[in-house]
Amino acid sequence: MAAVASGLYVGVRCRLCLTLTGQWTGLCGKAPSRFYSGSATLPKIEGANVTGIEEVVIPKKKTWDKVAVLQALASTVNRDSTAAPYAFQDDPYLIPTSSVESRSFLLAKKSGENAAKFIINSHPKYFQKDTAEPHIPCLMPEYFEPQIEGISEAALKERIKLKKVRASVDMFDQLLQAGTTVSLETSNSLLDLLCYYGDQEPSADNHFQQSEKSEELEEAIEENNEKSKKAGHQFGVTWRAKNNAERIFALMPEKNSHSYCTMIRGMVKHRALVQALNLYTELLNNRLHADVYTFNALIEATALSMNEKLEDKWNKILELLKEMAAQKVKPNLQTFNTILKCLRRFYSFGRLPALQTFREMKAIGIEPSLATYHYIIQLFYQHENPSKGSSLIIYDIMNELKGKKFSPKDPDDDMFFQSAMRVCSVLRDLELAYQVHGLLNTGDNWKFIGPDHRRNFYYSKFFSLLCLMEQIDVTLKWYKDLIPSVFFPRSQTLIDLLQALDVANRLEVIPEIWKDSKEYGHGFRDALKEEILMLMARDRHPPELQVAFADCAADIRSTYESQDARQTAPDWPANALNYIAVLFLRGGRIQEAWKMLGLFRKHNKIPGNELLDEFMDSAKASNNPAQAIEIVKLASAFSLPVCEGLAQRVMADFAISQEQKEALRDLTSLTSDSDSDSDSDIGEGK
Amino acid sequence: MFPRVSAIIPLRLLSPFPLCPGGSEAPAAAIVRLGAPHGTVRTKNEVHRYFGTNNVICNKKDEQSAPTRDMSKETETQESVKENTKKDLLGIIKGMRVELSTAKVQTTRPPNRRQLKSIEATTGRLHKVPEDAPKKRTKSLGPELVAAAAAVADVLPFDKQMTKSELLRQLQQHEEVSKAQKDGERAKISVSNIISDMKIAKSSTARVSTRPVHQIQFDEGSNDYVGQKKTNDLKKSLRKNILKGKRLNIFDLKAVTEEAPETETAPSLWDVEFAKQLAEVNEQPLQNGFEEMIQWTKEGKLWEFPINNEAGPTSISAHSIKRLPNL
Repeated sequence: MAAVASGLYVGVRCRLCLTLTGQWTGLCGKAPSRFYSGSATLPKIEGANVTGIEEVVIPKKKTWDKVAVLQALASTVNRDSTAAPYAFQDDPYLIPTSSVESRSFLLAKKSGENAAKFIINSHPKYFQKDTAEPHIPCLMPEYFEPQIEGISEAALKERIKLKKVRASVDMFDQLLQAGTTVSLETSNSLLDLLCYYGDQEPSADNHFQQSEKSEELEEAIEENNEKSKKAGHQFGVTWRAKNNAERIFALMPEKNSHSYCTMIRGMVKHRALVQALNLYTELLNNRLHADVYTFNALIEATALSMNEKLEDKWNKILELLKEMAAQKVKPNLQTFNTILKCLRRFYSFGRLPALQTFREMKAIGIEPSLATYHYIIQLFYQHENPSKGSSLIIYDIMNELKGKKFSPKDPDDDMFFQSAMRVCSVLRDLELAYQVHGLLNTGDNWKFIGPDHRRNFYYSKFFSLLCLMEQIDVTLKWYKDLIPSVFFPRSQTLIDLLQALDVANRLEVIPEIWKDSKEYGHGFRDALKEEILMLMARDRHPPELQVAFADCAADIRSTYESQDARQTAPDWPANALNYIAVLFLRGGRIQEAWKMLGLFRKHNKIPGNELLDEFMDSAKASNNPAQAIEIVKLASAFSLPVCEGLAQRVMADFAISQEQKEALRDLTSLTSDSDSDSDSDIGEGK
Repeated sequence: MFPRVSAIIPLRLLSPFPLCPGGSEAPAAAIVRLGAPHGTVRTKNEVHRYFGTNNVICNKKDEQSAPTRDMSKETETQESVKENTKKDLLGIIKGMRVELSTAKVQTTRPPNRRQLKSIEATTGRLHKVPEDAPKKRTKSLGPELVAAAAAVADVLPFDKQMTKSELLRQLQQHEEVSKAQKDGERAKISVSNIISDMKIAKSSTARVSTRPVHQIQFDEGSNDYVGQKKTNDLKKSLRKNILKGKRLNIFDLKAVTEEAPETETAPSLWDVEFAKQLAEVNEQPLQNGFEEMIQWTKEGKLWEFPINNEAGPTSISAHSIKRLPNL
């Protein structure tokens, strides 16, 4: 790598030399390191004939950061749609084939990492040997135990830094008892710690665990507007009255605005809303000023408070904003995002205020983030019923966002694409979906797709929309591109694809879809299998296709059989039996078809009339009257009304002996005679 | 059919068409006109429904008082004067009765105090200018309104000339704003269309029924009333929607952008944790080997490319060089 880079430099130099003079022998042959140091000055050329040469522009020195070369290389690599994502080991056994496997493999990898780190940090004395040159700090054990002993402010600071809630509180109390005053700054940082974690220890494996973002289900996204979990609030931690934070706050001899602010923020985070608002009044009474973060927390507190009408809440929020303006506190992006987030709970009342807030934001020059648009979309498309008129605001938003690149500004930024795609799906607008997808692929925006389940949701909706509205060739191209390298389809997605194939009359692709379905773990989904069988069995097709379908049906049959082996009460759906039998018949697998007929009895399912007709046709074609009689027997065993028709057909089309005719008449009389005693007569059948 | 329609529509119409501060001539006029063709007099109930706060007006009479209110708001702060002006004007309005011959409207007595107060709860400045019936409105900002404005100016204890000019200015403003906003599909959402096109009216009733009854709802009307066809023109015309329109008007651009002297404080725990959360938003699994190497380089586990031979402190020092034992 180094050699190539330096070669480039040398090349440049050589070219320059060439244009200047004819002599370039010695200079370029020199050790490249000298040029490589980045100097942009030209070496002196002795005896050069400099007259009649163009002006040479010395380029400015470029500085590259340490990952520049790697980034350049990474930008040349595109996604391989036939390969598994890079995060997985490239081994057939370790490549996931379903979303469940995918998730568990990634978790396994991460947990291995965490386990290793845990061991190293628990037993640091065994891991002291450091052979890396230069030293790699992040591979060395970390120290989580406080080192400073004794009672002093430095010890307190250390415990605060290590996030030891209990130990810090104890240290603080000890200091107070010993009579030392704790500085305001340290007290404030202690308050910060207590308020952020709600007077609980940070979660035990705080250092090892990934972010605690809760997983939302798709439907829950619409219903669950409680984004308290998202705000970093540890689920279940509520603010207890008279906890350590309040106690220490009361003990502090002097409090500045930071103290009040952090208390208010802590209270709001842990849902002690009334206390937060009261504390704010106290803050004002002490002639102190709140900062913008505190105001954001107060807005949230106002919006979440119960037992108030929406207009009152909104008015209070407006008042808070006016106070902000009066105290010359500059609002930030979070201010407006918090307002919009809270407005979602106001349902349709919140629409107009939301737009006004958005315009205010733009008017004072704060650039909205993806989370802003996400909240607006949620507000306008909450309980979407496309039969009534829908808001058109999504088109506005997409026009606004065209071509923009984003950087993370709000923890909810990764919710945008999923909501946008959901709206596209509801509105059934493919153009809009393409726009959203285009935005996703702009620059680095793809990183905002969010965690696994959100990505799956997005792509499932996108692909379903494609199946519904796009031409089949394009859809199949997307299918090859996205599945399985980007997401694993759910069985419903596959059913949608099958229906698209049906509409486009491309049923020959079905066996391939079945193979893929098995691969993605949907081989045991009854709905999917029935859909496949139904589409294959519905019409007659040219012989080769029929054979292919029969093979596919045989495969499906084997899945049913293996299911049977595992269950105590085997249960094949009646439709499946019907379809498989028909497909075998048409595909030329007569023997197996007859075996299927036998299975009807076994599973206590009734064969369809058309099926029996087809069997009759097949018997006729092979000129086998015995088979024909079998069919009639079967029909009578099930007491099917068609039995008589079948019997007549047999007598008409087949050359049968007199005894057989007699038997047939018996059979038909059995079925047509509702009062007949079936026990006595069945014994007489041949 | 028509009377029934007119009975229904006034109740429903105003919800999709929130009224602007200071003036709602068109809906008021339109609605009143709707109710009036057979000389029906609007009942008290209908009037109360739409009587908003000091900014919102529903019928002609209120409309006269509201501009005054608006103006009074300009002169004094909102909160303190709200109650007072309302009480004053209430008394004044109570005695007023205006009959406008061209519109063939017979307005009733103004709502009494009790009901007014109950409606005070609605927010004031949030109502958008209704975007409908532009033609009729042009006419309506004619003699009737001027006469009305003059009448109000006479009655009120403030400076008559100023009051009148203020009122007229407000009305003109609102008319201009509403004119500017009408385009494309919006013209469709006019009062006459609503009468003629029952479908729209029906869908509006369906919508209203889902809302809580005791709260007055406000929406951006045109957003919700679009039929199935979305033409490009429509999209373009609505493009302005999200950006144009009223804002909260609480913050001032200049005040916000001026550089206040910021005290440098170390980032608190809140800031640090927030920054960590933000970093996680963008996290995605690595896509290829190069990205993995980038990650390692950033963590310090991998040498930088191009290799820098002088990186890191040298560990070779005098005392660590092995010395051969003297033989």
